Parts: sequence; C-alpha cells; structure tokens
Amino acid sequence: MSTPDAPSPDAPGAASPDVLEARITELRAAVRRAMAAGDRQAARVHRAELRAAEQAWDDAVLGDGPAAPDTAPDADHDEPSASVRAPNRPSAAPRGLVPVREQVHQALTLIGAPAAPKLIGSVYATFFPGQIPGTRLTSLRRDEERSFRTAPYARPYYLGAALTADLLAPARGLLTVSTWPLERRIVGPLSARTDFLAAAVRVAEHAARREQAPDVQRLLWRFAANIPGAAAGAVGTVEPRALIEAAQAELDVHEETDRRQRRRAAGRARAQLDDAGRLFGARLRAMRSAASTTDGDHR
Amino acid sequence: MTDTAPALDLDRLRGATPPRNHDARTIAALTANPGCARRGVMDAAGVDKDAVSRTLGFPAPFGQSQFAITRGNVFEAQVKADGCAELLTLLRDRLGLAVPEVSYDDLEVVAGNEGRELRHARTRRLLRRALDSGEGTLYDHPLLRLEIAGQVAYLEPDVIAFQIEGRFHIVEIKSFAVIDGQAEPSQVAAAARQAAVYVLALRRLVAELGHPAERVSHEVILVCPENFSNRPTVTPVDVRPQLAVLERQLARLTRVDRIVAELPEDLSFDLAGALDEAVRAVEARYAPECMSSCEMAFFCRDEARACGATGALGRSVRDDLGGVDSIGTALALADGTLEPAADLAETAAQLRTAARLRAEALQSAGQGTAPDGAGLGSVA
Amino acid sequence: MSVLTSLAQLEAAAAGIAQPLATVRHCHLADHPLVMVPLKLAGEAAAPLAVMIGSDPAAPALLAVPQPRNRDLRFAFAAELAQVVLKHIETHHGAVEDLPPAKDGTERIRYTDAPQLLVPNRGGVGFLRMLGRSTRFRRTDGPYAVEPSVPVLGRWLTWYTDRHDHPGSALLMTMTEALRLHWATGQSSLEDGNLAALLGWIAPPGGMDGPAAAARAEDPVLSPPAGPVTDPGFDNEVLAPAIAAFDASGRDPRAEERVRRVLEGQLAPTWELMWRAVEVLRALPEGASVPARWERDRDSFTYFHQTFGEAYPQARRDSPVRAAKRLHDMERAQDAYDAQRAFDDPLVMAEHRLNGLAFGGTVTECDPTRLDESGKRPKLRPHLRVGTEDPVRLDPGTEVCSAARPGLKGRVVSVDGASVLLELTGGLGRKLTPEPGSVPGVGARVVFTSLIPGSFGPSRFPDKENTPWTHGGPPADYEPTDEDAAEDWS
Repeated sequence: MSTPDAPSPDAPGAASPDVLEARITELRAAVRRAMAAGDRQAARVHRAELRAAEQAWDDAVLGDGPAAPDTAPDADHDEPSASVRAPNRPSAAPRGLVPVREQVHQALTLIGAPAAPKLIGSVYATFFPGQIPGTRLTSLRRDEERSFRTAPYARPYYLGAALTADLLAPARGLLTVSTWPLERRIVGPLSARTDFLAAAVRVAEHAARREQAPDVQRLLWRFAANIPGAAAGAVGTVEPRALIEAAQAELDVHEETDRRQRRRAAGRARAQLDDAGRLFGARLRAMRSAASTTDGDHR
Repeated sequence: MTDTAPALDLDRLRGATPPRNHDARTIAALTANPGCARRGVMDAAGVDKDAVSRTLGFPAPFGQSQFAITRGNVFEAQVKADGCAELLTLLRDRLGLAVPEVSYDDLEVVAGNEGRELRHARTRRLLRRALDSGEGTLYDHPLLRLEIAGQVAYLEPDVIAFQIEGRFHIVEIKSFAVIDGQAEPSQVAAAARQAAVYVLALRRLVAELGHPAERVSHEVILVCPENFSNRPTVTPVDVRPQLAVLERQLARLTRVDRIVAELPEDLSFDLAGALDEAVRAVEARYAPECMSSCEMAFFCRDEARACGATGALGRSVRDDLGGVDSIGTALALADGTLEPAADLAETAAQLRTAARLRAEALQSAGQGTAPDGAGLGSVA
Repeated sequence: MSVLTSLAQLEAAAAGIAQPLATVRHCHLADHPLVMVPLKLAGEAAAPLAVMIGSDPAAPALLAVPQPRNRDLRFAFAAELAQVVLKHIETHHGAVEDLPPAKDGTERIRYTDAPQLLVPNRGGVGFLRMLGRSTRFRRTDGPYAVEPSVPVLGRWLTWYTDRHDHPGSALLMTMTEALRLHWATGQSSLEDGNLAALLGWIAPPGGMDGPAAAARAEDPVLSPPAGPVTDPGFDNEVLAPAIAAFDASGRDPRAEERVRRVLEGQLAPTWELMWRAVEVLRALPEGASVPARWERDRDSFTYFHQTFGEAYPQARRDSPVRAAKRLHDMERAQDAYDAQRAFDDPLVMAEHRLNGLAFGGTVTECDPTRLDESGKRPKLRPHLRVGTEDPVRLDPGTEVCSAARPGLKGRVVSVDGASVLLELTGGLGRKLTPEPGSVPGVGARVVFTSLIPGSFGPSRFPDKENTPWTHGGPPADYEPTDEDAAEDWS
C-alpha cells in the first residue's frame, strides 16, 4: 500500500488523504450493501458522496491534473458507472463541423438501404472524415419526428424509421432517409438480407474507386465474410469486384420476392397512413386495425 | 387458466404481492431440488422469493457483473447484426441451410408496444403461418407461454426459433467461450436446462396450433464465441434429458395442492405478515446445491445449521450417515451414548468404529482428541 | 468421502473448529513458493484483470490491466507476468545433480529443486490454463508480434496446469485443496471452496470460532473473493467506474493508479490468507513419502526445462496415444499416492481399516520360528494371530504387509470375528530363524493392510506411428500454424 503517512502539505485545508481514504472505503461498502439489499435510493445517495470523496482524494494526493472524468469531452455521455466505454480514439475529428443528422444522411446515402446505427457509424468512419458520436444516434429519430410534426417538410430531408411490412410500424434500430421511395423504406422478412447485400454492393462500388486502406478492407471483410463466394482470397483481404459479384448473385435469389412484398406493403401504407405515419411508422391504434385486417398478407 | 380451488389457495398464499413472472432460468431452477416442499409451494404460488429472502434478512447474492452483461449483449448484437449475417453464415456452413432461406421476423416489439398479450398473439400468428406453409426461417424473440402449476407464465426467451426443412430449432446465443471444442461444462448444462424450457414451450404452442410437437427439435443450437475471439461457432446440444426432467417436475408442481391442503388455512407469504413463521411452516430440504439456484438458500441453510441438520454439510455426508439427519444424534451414536433403533444399528456400528479408529490414529500420532485441542486454536 | 471424513465434519460442526484429517503434511512445501492470486474480468474466457504475485509475503508485486478489453494492454500484462514467473523459475531450480546413467546408457540429471506455484483455488488453475492456452502460440515477429517472453510464459503455464492434474504433484497447488486434504470443517465442500471461510474454520482470527469466521468470509465487502472471478457488487460499484474514468481520462496515470488501488484492495486480503495457510501447512510434519513424490516432480521439471528449447508449444489437443498414456499415468499416480498417504499417516490408514482393507490390533499369539516343510526345502513362515475389533474384509490368501514396516509381508490364513491369523512370508531375513525384532511379539500393536505401495504396474502403449485405426491412425506431427499464432484475443 502506498498510503501517505502524513497529510500532504498542499492539501486544500479539508480532510487528510488518510481520512479521505477511510471515507472512500466506507462509502464503497455502503453503496455495495445498499445495492445488495435492493435499496437503490440509498445507493444513489452514497454513490454521489463517494464520487465527491474520490475527487477530493484525487485533488489532495495527486494535485491538479487533467480534467476529471465527470468533465470529460463528451458532454452528454452516460454516467461513467453505467457502461464500460471503449478507449477514446485519438483520431476523433473535431466535433461540430458537420451536424450529426448530416453525417448520418451522408452515410445512409452511400449505403442506399435501411441500416442500423452500427453500420452507419462504420461506413461513415471509413469513408468520411471523423466519426459519428454513437450516443447521439439514439435520440436522433425522436428529434427528427418532433421536428417534422412541428413544421412538416421544413427541412429538405428527414431521417426516419424503416417500416415493418406487416404492421407498418417502426422497425427496431433501422434508419432511412425520407426522400427514398416508400418501397425502399419498408422492410419485409427478406429485407434484412437483401438490404445487407445491397449495401455490400454499394459500399464495394464506392471502395473500388478508392485506395484499399486497411479500414476499407476491414469494412469490406465484414460483408465478404458473410456472403458465399465473396471472400475467395486470403483471410481478411477482399477484392471489391469479387464482393460485388457474390453479393449480386445472392441478391438475385431473393430480390424479386422481397420487392413484391415491399411494394404491396407500400400500397397499404399509402392508403392507411398520413405523412408523418409514412415517415415514422404507424402508431399503436393504426397497428391494431392493420393487424386485424392484414393477417396473412405480408408474404 | 382454471379457477379451481388450488389456484385460489395459491393466490392466497402469495398475499398482497403480485405473482412473480417466471423466466426460463427460474423454470429450469424448478428442477434442481424436487424434494423440497417449501420451494415447491412458493414457486407454484409465484411468490417472489427474492423479496421474501430479503425481508427475512437473507438476501440472495445472485447479482451479475455488468462486465458479463455487457459482454453477453455485445456478442449477441454482433451475431445478429446486418440481418443476422454471421448467424446465417454459420447455419449455412454447419447445418446446410439453403441460400434462399433468409427470412427474418423480429417478434420483440409490436408496433412500438411491448405488451405480452400482443406479442404472444403475433408470435402465434407468424408461427402458425410458418408451420402451415413450411416457409419462414428465423423468428427472433418469440414470446412463449407455459403453464406452471395452473398459472400461465410468459417466457421472454432471448432466443431465435429457427426453421429448417420443416423443423424448428431453438437457437441460443451465449457469450461463454468454446475453446478447442470445449466449453465450461456447468455453463453448457445451464444453457441446456434453459433451452429445454423453450423447447417445451414451443412444443406446447406447436401442438396448440394443430401440428405434431416433434416439429420442434430436441436438438438446440448453441452459438458461442470460439476460442478467445469474437467469432461465433455452433454447438448442437441434445436436450432430451433436460426435457424429461422438466416435464416430470412440472407435472409434480401441479400436485402441490396436496401439500397446500395440509398447510394451515391462514398461511400467507405476504411480506408484511408473519413471514418468518409462515416460511418455517413449510418444510424445506436444504442441500448446499440450493445455493446456486434458489433465492431462499441462505435462509434455509441458516435454519438447517441451527437445528444441526447433517444435510447442511452436503449430500454425501447425509448419505454416509445412512439417513441420520441430526448432527447431535450422529455424534451420540458414534460415542455410544445413544442406543440405536434397529434400523440404524448398522450405521451406528460404523460410526462407533469410525470414532474408535479416529481416536486411535490421533492418539498414535500424539495428538489430543478433545474438541478444543483440534484445529490450531486462535491465531492472532 | 467416507464415514470417517463425515464423522470428522460432524465433530468440527459440533466443536466450531476444524478437525484433522491427517497427522502429517502430504504435500511438499517449497521454502520460497511463488504465490499467485489472479483476477479475471467477468464474462470473459481469459481477460486478465490483475495478479498479486511473489515469493516474499512482505513484498508482493501487483500487476494490473487498467482496461482489460484492450488487447495491447493484455499482452503488456502477459509480458510483465512472464518476467516475474520466468525469473522465479530460473532462480528456483537449484543446481544440477548427476544421476547414474539409464539402462540404455543415456545421461540422467535432475535439478536439486523445482519452482513451486501456489494459487488460491481450482478456478485459479483454470485461469492459468486459459492464459497459457491464449499465449503459447503467439508469434514474436510479424503483424501480431508479442514480447518474446509471452509464448514462453504460455508454455510454462500450460505445463504447470497439466502437471496439476497429476495426483500427488506439488508443482502447482491450490490452497483450498491442500487445506482440505488435511482438515475437515463443519461446512459443506461448496463453502470450503471459499479460502477465507475454509481457513476461518482451521485457524480463525483472534476471538472468533469457525462459524463466525466463515460467516465473515462470506461477506464480499469485508472479505473479497479469492478470485479469479470478482464480486459483481465490486465490479459494478467500484471497478467499472474506475475503468470508465481511466478511459475517459485518455489514460491518465492517476486514473490508472486508481484502478490499481481498487484491485489491490481486492487482492491483498487473499494474499494474506495464502501466506497464513502456508504457515498452517508448514506447522505439520512432512509425510515420509513426500520427498519421493517431490523427486518425481523435479524429474518432470528437469525434463521440461531441458527440452524446452527444442520442443514446440503443447498441441491444442493430445494425440490418442498420448491421451491414453496420460490417463494411465494418472491412474497409476493416483493409486500410488493413495497408498503412500496411508502408509505415511495412521489417520489415512484408518479409512482403509474402516473399509476392511486393513486391520489393526494386538498380537495375541505368535509362532516366530514356524517352518513350512511341505515343499522341497523348508521355508520360514511364522504365524501371527492379531486380535482386532476392525471390520476385516480380507479373504484367506490375500497378501498383506505391515503399515509400520511395509517390508514385512504376509498372507491371510483365516479371519474370525475377533482375530486374523497371518502367515508371514517376507521381511524376516534370509535364514530359517527370523532376524531379531522382525516378528512382532505377543502384546505388540500392529496394523496390516492389503494395500501394496506401487502395485499398479506400468503398461505398454504403441508408438505414435502405430496408433491403431480405431483411434484415427497415426496422427500428423503437430506443428503450430500461422492461424494459431494470429488467433484473436479479444
């Protein structure tokens, strides 16, 4: 143990490091006991006291240093204890030059199909300068919907949800662009696969026009590893043309059925939903009637 | 659900607390100690044993590390990412799934609504169509039901129902590693026990929909990380033994009404009532194995120790003692101060011999045998 | 388990303190064992978190990974650990002693000592096994290069954990198993798996009895678990915020120091327990056959150390012949180990007496000069009648030997309710009258047993080239592949 024997002379008047250390130990025990007993309220109180004591200890023993975690760069991040975060990437570009919705729009336009935030993030990081801050994506769709409902069509495009073919409800975790045809924004049972394959083609085409940097290869590999015949070469290396051919070959198998299902659902959506509904998905009420009338219809 | 007398009795036992929802873990745990009446009654009545044990001052230490939770979530998300791309690759390579079979339906949320009735209805509807037509491949997060002692429990399985050649398999994604073809046996066993619950629930649903239960395979598909990587690998696991145990135990649970009938009329596990007394009124059968599966274990262990039960020392001790279940009795038989009844004569003779041999050996080694001469005494 | 052990548990429960299961120490204890208390990240197969390590109780080294999900930091940890472990290995094998050459004339040597590793529990061994598996195939050049010491560490850890499976080996021991070999507590084997609780029954801290010490040991806040898995409450409330702060700070050394300090807090109590347990074990006199077993351990160590440079890393899986041979060796070692302990320790022999495979009592009749004259030449075959209360289950004709002097051999002639008649056949000298003192006289206390040390003979196995087709035929020679070396560790 490296407990200092005496309070450090430049400690800011208050408690000595020894006292603080004892207090920290005590508070940690208190938090854990409160959690074990299921008393979340008490745990929260002790946790706050604990953070304060830790901060005081840092100041007393280690002196002033770089910013403490609570004032870390990412202003709207979760509470540190809530998640284990990946190490900061030193390559993170200065924030604020391109708004998040614009970043997502660029990536989605490249992908050309409904996509999950994770894919959107990797595509952006690979082909555009900087990164999309992950925590912003979660609230994006809600913000877009609010904005649309307040002032419809005030913006040139909106980032909306993908709609499920059977219920015309928002599909979990998929983002689309409002200017896409409705058929493309609706997902049927085969669409997860066809959209993945279509994205593979688009991303590979984009990559073929560029230098094959390691991060481009990594992104292509993510597609190629899961498309039959796409990864003919050595493990981890992908030839964009081979990827495009393999993805297109499998796409040919599913595409027609998928398109038919999407088109039929789009017809229903046009008939049943208002503008906001078509962009952000049917609400529960609409869904109920849809569920009762369209059973068996989505295949 | 039936409004029979036993069901009402069970509601009364639970008191003012709402019934606890079962999940596959709690249902699988029902098979762990079938001989325990306390557990049987409390589980059948849907008593929140976690709350009860906490109220009694013996909280169950079943917390989970957020590192383990995060790891599990990340791995599952990865396998399911991009329309289950990695999972499809595995199923194609290892189970020969045909290329056109890629359909995927997410049953977790229904139009932004997570209501269980609604979700179950959708699960039924899509599975009926899949069974009738043979079409449809992956059904993520089906919401199933299982009747537990007359009460319907909804099962929130974190699994995929997977149809290949007209048969359904349960696909369970687990984040424990398979290293050089081997995984931690206890983790595989726990996964198999849980998966068996899903197989059973899915079979019941398939039967309700008018199809043979065998359209749900007894072979479940475990998807785990391979070696030290994040790359998934597939391990088929035959859960027939777990299914048999589970069905037997569920059938038994429906008979707890017999135990309930013998309990005092006004017995209730209401948290605000005379809980300690109520719990003690139903006999437990504690064994150290309970510690890993039952929220009441710490309470029951304390009780077993307080009355000197040999079972608290482990099943093997209890077996060695041929059914003598009190430590005091066993020691009295060993030192000859208690004359055994006829059925214990053999055990008693063995205990007496054991005691003589121990004393002789310790004496010859120059050690005392008095209790306070044992151990090392106190070390400051 | 047996009634004898169960009885000891009952006595322990009644007395509130552990009861002996052995009167001597059945394992070798090095003068300077390398104690390791490893911790891993929950939910991962082999993500090291920290280890407290050293051979001086007063000077443990703490190695920690401030962000266990980071591959580079893990390998940096492995390199640091390698430095400590390999240094200990190279400084604790003593000198080389020459042995008489083997039958085929090859030279034989043996180190005078071998480095001993101690970990708290079986989980610790499992973790070292995984760490060994995940590091031994690494390349020290090319795209995923690691420090040269890392694969060396992996091979040593693999060897140690393999050797742990060998019955009676003391090269890598777990403290809970070592203690349970010598004491019975008043709790179940499940609770005995908790080092603090187990030691609490054996040597409770001042003012406590066994149950009180064990109860304290079960509170993870007062008594952190001995690893390798950490307490979930600690993970969620202490470790995770510390790691998150380290990440958020851009790897500020102060934040790293905080991670190290909280891990140290989890490890230090177990470190203390490990050394207290070493003291407790050291207080027992060493069993007579312990040095012989340690000699086998030294042989094994010498062979591995001497051939290290020319061998490949251990294969992922044993070939069929190797697996069969290993299983056979382990069965033999188990048999010898069980027998040796019984001869070393009357309390272990008592188990065999209770099972009827040994008996003890007082010599009631003795005919030391009896001759068997049925053959061509007369043979010295003294008769001995031993009065015993033991439940003897030996058939006439069974060979037995004396527990005190295994050289003294005999054969059971008859067993009645209260005595056994023996005919002595060996250990009497070469003449037709017994050597003085070799035949126990009337009134002597004796124990005879049907256990014969080393009765399980070696078997022959085919060479690898002759692996039968039932076992897949001769396997290809194992050579590590690029894929082995490039395996992810994420």
